[in-house]
Amino acid sequence: MTATISTVHRKPKSRTRFVRKLGHVPVRLAVALLVIVELAPLVWLGISSLKAEDEFSSRPMWALPRGFHWQNYVDAWTTGNMSVYFRNSILATFPALALIIVLSVMAGFALEVLRWKGREGVLLLFLAGVMVPLQMVLLPLFTIYFQAGLINNLWSLIITYTVFGLPLSVFLMAGYFKAVPREVLEAAAIDGAGLYRTFWSVVLPTVRNAVVTVSLVQFFFIWNDLLLSLTFISDDNLRTVQSGLLNFVGQYGQRQWGPTFASVCMAVFPTLLIYLVLNQKVMKGLTAGSVKG
Amino acid sequence: MEKLLRDRRAILFFIGPALTVYTLVMLVPIIWSAGYTFFEGNALSGFSWTGLDNYSKLFSDDAFWQSAGMTFKYAAVVTVGQVGAGLILSLMYIFYLRKASSLVRTLVFFPVVLPTVAVAQMFVKMFQVSPQEGLFNATLSGVGLGSHVQDWLGTPSGAFWILVIMDIWRSMGFYAVLLYAGLVDIPEDILESARLDGASGFTLTRRIVLPLLTPILVSSIIFSINGTLKVFDSVLALTKGGPGDATTPLTLYMYNTAFSYGDYGYGSTIAMALTLLSLAVTLVIFRASRKDVRK
Amino acid sequence: MRSKFAAIAVAASLLAAAACGGTGKGGSDAGQDASGPVNVEFLSVQQATDNWPTVLSDLMTGYSKDHPGSALKNTFVAQTDLDQKLQLLGAQNALPVLFNAPNTPAAQTEMGQTGKAVDLEAKLTELGVIDKVSPAAISVVKQLQGGKFYALPFELNVEGIWFNKKIFADNAITEPRTWDELTAAATTLQGKGIQPFAASGVEGWPITRLLGDYIFRLLGPDALKKVADGQAKLTDPQYVQAAQAIADLGSKGFFGKGVTTLEYQPAEDLFLQGKAGMFYMGSWAVGDFNDPKKNKIGADNIGYIPFPAVTGGAGNAEQTPMNVGLPTMVSAKAYTPAVGEWLKYLATNYGGTALTKRGLISGFKAATPPADLSETTKLVQTRIDGTKEPVLWFEALFSAKATSVSQKNAARLVTGSMSPQDFMSKVQDALAG
Repeated sequence: MTATISTVHRKPKSRTRFVRKLGHVPVRLAVALLVIVELAPLVWLGISSLKAEDEFSSRPMWALPRGFHWQNYVDAWTTGNMSVYFRNSILATFPALALIIVLSVMAGFALEVLRWKGREGVLLLFLAGVMVPLQMVLLPLFTIYFQAGLINNLWSLIITYTVFGLPLSVFLMAGYFKAVPREVLEAAAIDGAGLYRTFWSVVLPTVRNAVVTVSLVQFFFIWNDLLLSLTFISDDNLRTVQSGLLNFVGQYGQRQWGPTFASVCMAVFPTLLIYLVLNQKVMKGLTAGSVKG
Repeated sequence: MEKLLRDRRAILFFIGPALTVYTLVMLVPIIWSAGYTFFEGNALSGFSWTGLDNYSKLFSDDAFWQSAGMTFKYAAVVTVGQVGAGLILSLMYIFYLRKASSLVRTLVFFPVVLPTVAVAQMFVKMFQVSPQEGLFNATLSGVGLGSHVQDWLGTPSGAFWILVIMDIWRSMGFYAVLLYAGLVDIPEDILESARLDGASGFTLTRRIVLPLLTPILVSSIIFSINGTLKVFDSVLALTKGGPGDATTPLTLYMYNTAFSYGDYGYGSTIAMALTLLSLAVTLVIFRASRKDVRK
Repeated sequence: MRSKFAAIAVAASLLAAAACGGTGKGGSDAGQDASGPVNVEFLSVQQATDNWPTVLSDLMTGYSKDHPGSALKNTFVAQTDLDQKLQLLGAQNALPVLFNAPNTPAAQTEMGQTGKAVDLEAKLTELGVIDKVSPAAISVVKQLQGGKFYALPFELNVEGIWFNKKIFADNAITEPRTWDELTAAATTLQGKGIQPFAASGVEGWPITRLLGDYIFRLLGPDALKKVADGQAKLTDPQYVQAAQAIADLGSKGFFGKGVTTLEYQPAEDLFLQGKAGMFYMGSWAVGDFNDPKKNKIGADNIGYIPFPAVTGGAGNAEQTPMNVGLPTMVSAKAYTPAVGEWLKYLATNYGGTALTKRGLISGFKAATPPADLSETTKLVQTRIDGTKEPVLWFEALFSAKATSVSQKNAARLVTGSMSPQDFMSKVQDALAG
């Protein structure tokens, strides 16, 4: 039985020892500073979302709004179409995430556990994909998708996100599979479980942590994408949150900052909430997984 | 057992789907784009064969080398910053904040979900002088350093460092969570026995925790360096590559060349150079880390 | 080699299509009947609520009365992404019926020469509506597009220096007619603690426009054509002298602090909130001048002065810089008889509708000009009508790369971090290769 650091927290002895070593005051100050550095922008975002347009250049950035300009939120919801963009972002992100997980777990298993010629080469091939700048393949991809009728279709995003997420995910997964003890597999094989069943019931549970990590990494990659959604989507009803913010940009790059920030608030706070809820689950899962391992 | 692991059909089943989509949507376009490096022109006006001209042009193109230099400097500084800050944060989460860390973790993480334009605008506002003095300049004036008030983003080094700070601030929480996940995995009995041997605090961290964290640390570094070598969005939103070309990374130079200047062939060549450079850097890290792990 | 790529492309696309069950773009015979309905998509750098799209949608409402089922769809693309979008769509022969021309005249010409955009002089003549376009607009477009008329002038602008009348009066400044008077006026303002000029260094062109104008005043209206044709170089002493004059404005602090990072809107705000005395801009900004939410100094408080003459120069202040904004092209592939019918309607009615609905002066003639135009709009109209010899702008005839180099480094010219000599030779180098 191995415990993890997190279980240690319940032991007051080691706790005091650590805390004393690190020192109370400086660390507390650092934490306080950290919280300020992270909280202030949130507050600023909220304040800015309620400012009238001319306040952005006529008053300092930290000034409170002269009045609550709720019209920004109305604009964000109507002109900004935020609800639709939010839905599109979710519709593009989650299928891509699921595909990345499934494909990379399987590929990682094949590359690290199974024995075949050329797997080193294939692993390198995947690794090479990490280096490719997105901008390089825009023209070929656009051509392919256009011929396939996938321009202005969320599938073009889902497919591209999946493939661009694969290299790193496969690479990470292969790394995690390395850590799965041989004996576990052999025991399962002796029990007479087939390869597929072993994969499903023995191997898969041991890489739960990896799945969480990979999802986390990829989620924010995909969620923050602007270039691909701009390139493959021009239909206003299919825009994602990131490209939807363009609705407040004028011909000369003038942005209506009020509605932009209102949109950002409307997009960010739900995301943050989801994260807070998931965070508990994710971390519980992490801890549970490691106790078992 | 061995036989089981050599089952051809199973191998195909597991690797097949990933390899197929990867080949179609990644490898084919790459080879396709690689082909463009031997051509001049763009998709509208048509391409004409130029052989290796684009590659020889690369060597005498000052703008390319300037961009390459900026890209590498940025990638090195930001990778060290992101992963370093992430490491410190994660150690703080686990050794100091412990149970209370959930809220702080979330707070530090949240900039990741902010759209780049919003983050960039905040940094622009913070460092601007006109039409309003930003927070930074106002503070300088306030503490009697008014003579240092200037257009920070308007100077090459100012723009570079603000970009660096912005990107470290944005993503340190992300790396902190990644590394935290690795820290949680370290078995307590290892730490306990180390403590019995008299190790504690920084010694414990350096001798025991860091070596055990190496695999995930290496992944983070590879991940970070590949992200930063390909930086695009944050530059576009913060400085648009300016002042002049001072903060133009290779991706932006490539994008401008290919689409604005209408030379897709040369643009692809720049992209190809960037890909090869990233590949070289990754292989170096990869090799070094493998050696390290085996020790 | 090319055919090999094509083969790969076909193979890949077939596979992709098969894998995803894509349907491809259904070809159709729609639009062959001129009297039938027309479906127009407009790929535009303006939002649906902005000038051109609103005018067009108004026109479409009128048109669909006689041609039921006709519709207009505005697809917004940010101006910075426009060139990319046009290339990608153009390569697939999928440009929509109407699309904003690429950002540089050089690329616009290419669009026409490669047959992607309709040659509108021929087409509008064939449709019998060429006389609905104002000759001034045709002349400007032809100067830009290598003697051809490939784009619809949805707006027609003059450029010049807009000034705050009250600030001028308070400081006893009379409208400057020469460059020396202009710099004297700026010095006076500077002395009173008022920023003389507001300009966006992020955009760059508000600064290089000054440079171009100075060159026209100093060396005559064909000075930049000579550069484009290789008969003169930007590094020639007189051109550098012009750059020096603009750099001097900057070194005296006339652009205020932070010009490098000032964007379009904040720069305009400086002027419209009374913090800057002068603002060089095209007359498209009149829309903002008439918007009380943006304009805090009052629409009547804004005056216009043409870019002043340079003493002893070969040009004069009557040669007004003129442009058609970012014009709009008609896709050759998407052209059908029905589109032709719509174009005819558009050419006939655009001028009047634009003027009535948006106070927008376009390159189309207005059949019955409305009487209640704002003072500023009237002023612009008079200026346009009175211009016998329009001039373009600094980068008008440059390659895309030279344009970008010039605009990116403009702020460095006025902040002194780049010498006039270096600036001009950098742009000249970009022009050469």
